[in-house]
Amino acid sequence: MSEVQAVRLEQLRGRAPAAAPWLDTWLLGAALLLMALGLLMVASSSVALAERQTGMPLYFFYRQLAYVAVGLTVGAVALAVPLKVWRQTSGFLLLGGIAVLGLVLIPGIGREVNGSMRWIDLGLFNLQPSEIVKVLMWLYVAGYLVRRSDELRVALSGFLKPMVLTVVIAVLLLLEPDYGAAAVLFTTVLGMLFLGGVPLSRFLVWLFVAAGLLVGGALYAPYRIQRLTAFLDPWSDPFNSGFQLTQALIAVGRGEWLGVGLGGGVQKLFYLPEAHTDFLFAVMGEELGLAGMLLVIVLFGFMVWRAFAIAARAGARGEPYGAYLAYGIGLGVGLQAVINIGVNLGVLPTKGLTLPLMSYGGSSMVANCLAIALLLRVDLELRRQERQP
Amino acid sequence: MTDTPDSPVIPWRHHVALTVLLGCALLMAARATDLTMNHREFLQQEGDARMLRVMEIPASRGTLRDRHGALLAVSTPVKSVWAQPAELAAARDRWPELGRELGVTLEHIRDRVAGAREREFVYLRRHVEPGVAARVAALEIPGVAMEREYRRFYPAGEVAAHVVGFTDVDGVGREGMELALDERLQGRAGSKRVIRDRLGRTVENVESVRVPVPGEDVHLSIDLRIQYLAYRALKAAKQRYRAAGGSVVVLDVTSGEVLAMVNQPFYNPNKGSDRVGARVRNRAVTDLFEPGSTIKPFTVLAGLISGEFKPRSTIDTSPGLLRVGRYTVRDHRDYGVIDLQTVMAKSSNVGASRIALTVAPETLWRVYDGLGFGLSSASGFPGEADGILTDYMRWGDIHRVTLSYGYGLSVSALQLARAYAVLGADGVLPPVTFERSAGDGGGRQVVDGRYVRQVRAMMESVLDEGGTGGRGRVPGYRVAGKTGTVKKSVVGGYAEDRYMALFAGMAPASAPRIVVLAVMDEPRSEDYYGGQVAAPLFAKVMGGALRTLGVAPDDLAPASRQFIANLEPPAHGAP
Repeated sequence: MSEVQAVRLEQLRGRAPAAAPWLDTWLLGAALLLMALGLLMVASSSVALAERQTGMPLYFFYRQLAYVAVGLTVGAVALAVPLKVWRQTSGFLLLGGIAVLGLVLIPGIGREVNGSMRWIDLGLFNLQPSEIVKVLMWLYVAGYLVRRSDELRVALSGFLKPMVLTVVIAVLLLLEPDYGAAAVLFTTVLGMLFLGGVPLSRFLVWLFVAAGLLVGGALYAPYRIQRLTAFLDPWSDPFNSGFQLTQALIAVGRGEWLGVGLGGGVQKLFYLPEAHTDFLFAVMGEELGLAGMLLVIVLFGFMVWRAFAIAARAGARGEPYGAYLAYGIGLGVGLQAVINIGVNLGVLPTKGLTLPLMSYGGSSMVANCLAIALLLRVDLELRRQERQP
Repeated sequence: MTDTPDSPVIPWRHHVALTVLLGCALLMAARATDLTMNHREFLQQEGDARMLRVMEIPASRGTLRDRHGALLAVSTPVKSVWAQPAELAAARDRWPELGRELGVTLEHIRDRVAGAREREFVYLRRHVEPGVAARVAALEIPGVAMEREYRRFYPAGEVAAHVVGFTDVDGVGREGMELALDERLQGRAGSKRVIRDRLGRTVENVESVRVPVPGEDVHLSIDLRIQYLAYRALKAAKQRYRAAGGSVVVLDVTSGEVLAMVNQPFYNPNKGSDRVGARVRNRAVTDLFEPGSTIKPFTVLAGLISGEFKPRSTIDTSPGLLRVGRYTVRDHRDYGVIDLQTVMAKSSNVGASRIALTVAPETLWRVYDGLGFGLSSASGFPGEADGILTDYMRWGDIHRVTLSYGYGLSVSALQLARAYAVLGADGVLPPVTFERSAGDGGGRQVVDGRYVRQVRAMMESVLDEGGTGGRGRVPGYRVAGKTGTVKKSVVGGYAEDRYMALFAGMAPASAPRIVVLAVMDEPRSEDYYGGQVAAPLFAKVMGGALRTLGVAPDDLAPASRQFIANLEPPAHGAP
């Protein structure tokens, strides 16, 4: 049976031809589906706010559409860049990222919104460097794990070096402050080190130290304590500290099984703050119901599983850099999604974290597109390798 | 550990990390399901408490029309601008433009907002013009919203103001028929449940709680044409005689319907600032006065009923005064021996007094009481006065005498007009009403029609040559009437220079259709007698009303008219 015939046969059986996909269409499909769903929800949840702020009901939708276009372009370019290049330049990229992260903190350059200096005004849009730096960190740590594989498994220094770097970046993030981004970055790096083979005892000790630092940081700033207690029992003070969360929970409760229908939600009508960014998931819960929420959770779960599967394949094929990078991306995107959804459902304290690929925001969209593209690149190089035995 | 040197992936760590992440996802899915299944009711209840509001649907207030359908009071939809104090307080920078469009000062906004911090609702300005409402809405200021309300408009304005009355800004009747008929006009407001966004704007109608019932449309008894006529005539008379005030009442003799009722001073019900103080009062219904000589037909009537007097009976009024105890009754001059008709025509106090002293007090009281003096007419008009008629058991001679020419009792203009209607309707006391009635009916025979017709015939002589009311004549119609000039009572007695000039009468005398009562309060011109001041006003209104109603003239040859009081006028049934 020739290859052409085999393809024909596969097509007759209704399956995709085994040889056709040169990249992971399932992963790409899941990501695109999340982006499309996100666009829809951004449009629906921001109509009232946009109308009021700008007079154009679809203002945020059009902007998000542009971000998606930029994100897809960046992703396409990234997909064409060999992993080797990423690996070799990751150190410089990260240095640049850290520099920009420092720039944010300089008054006059950084732009303050809601008490946080997280953005740099670039005219057309605001850049949020922390989103990009996260991805650069994964690129760098993956390379470090490959270079210092032995040191990491044997010596304390191998573990400490990346941790110091992480702490430096985390401190920069906490100075903004962007507690959520710091948490995601820290946890992701820890996870990568864990997967990279850090001895368990050392790892656990440092896990406790890190947890202690995070808790200490939380206790240091009183507004975080308020946020923490608010999430534990939002109904004790539903109109002040618990307001956002109770509105999110009400949105979810109103949605029932299939939701009140796209555009039919009420919480986004100025009841739920940040409806199109951090609390997009709750608005979706109201409008698309439990079905919509479960779909999103399944899609993110699928992407994580896919990332881990790619990592395992890369490991088996002797591509440790691709393996660690895939782990980082799977961990990072998955963690951020879990935290955001947890916040929306009232099981985690409120923090300014977006839902990857879905929430409104240019930096987040571009960074996550880049991450997915990198994941696809790892897979793509594996497929090429597999086709040339 | 199955770590292999050539693969960097450690399977168990791979599985632990993946399990933790997917476990978290599973946890989220479980939480979402739990919220949806087990906490749904609580969450929805909380949501409803924040978003659901019961909104009133105002029932449109019924219209008031005159008897022929002309609009007297109508509700038009307008907008009222209200605010959520907390939201508006936050948008302080928008206050100047808001104030500019609304036409209110910044202090006004501040007061409204500050005074209601804890509330969700405060009016900024009510009943604004549609253009203003549209411009304010276009500003899109946080916390500012519009509400649909009704504003009452009175097309007839001041002409029918005292009868129609007015409502307050909430659409509740405050005066006049607006108050009397309030319940029927109001209808019943409905309500609906709506979803509001956080800015207080209605997003969605959820359900109707109660369907509004619109108010009833009511036809008043007023004939706007006659009302307008009376209004103009009274206004002109007030100016001409420099009177403090005045009233005109036009009654349908048989149905008791008030065809017109005007007062001076007047007010414009469409102007809020005008609706204050004494001018709002419907004096014709609420104010009491001593009827003076206009009571004499009833004194004569009592004389006839008692049997002590016949139409042809004569009374010696010499020497023009009569001493009763320490009290002296005076005529203008010594009329000598005169018959009853002349007592009426000359308005002789001595003659009336002699009748009163002859007739048993109870008989006199029964006549007055039967005519409705001392008791409200039950017209239902708000604030209607009862009048005062004391019990005859307590009457002394002086009281009997003064009663006979109209002092010592007090009546409202409406009561006096109704008593005259009895004379016009051959002894039937009509039920007074301000609403258009289906037919004539409900009247009660209070006096024998025979005596009434005799008195009416005598009253025609009042307008004859030599009578006191010649100026009350209406060309083409026979009129029966009576003048009255009343000294106004003041603290400690009667004023010498403050009078009320009255003229009451009916036409056509052969078969009366309407009664007109003209009252001029404190005329300050040289003329102040009822026959000089009130009679021309009466004639103007009566003539106009008769022509408006298309009543056939009954006096086509005035010169030939020679009426003999002791002959009964042509018999006729109740019209």
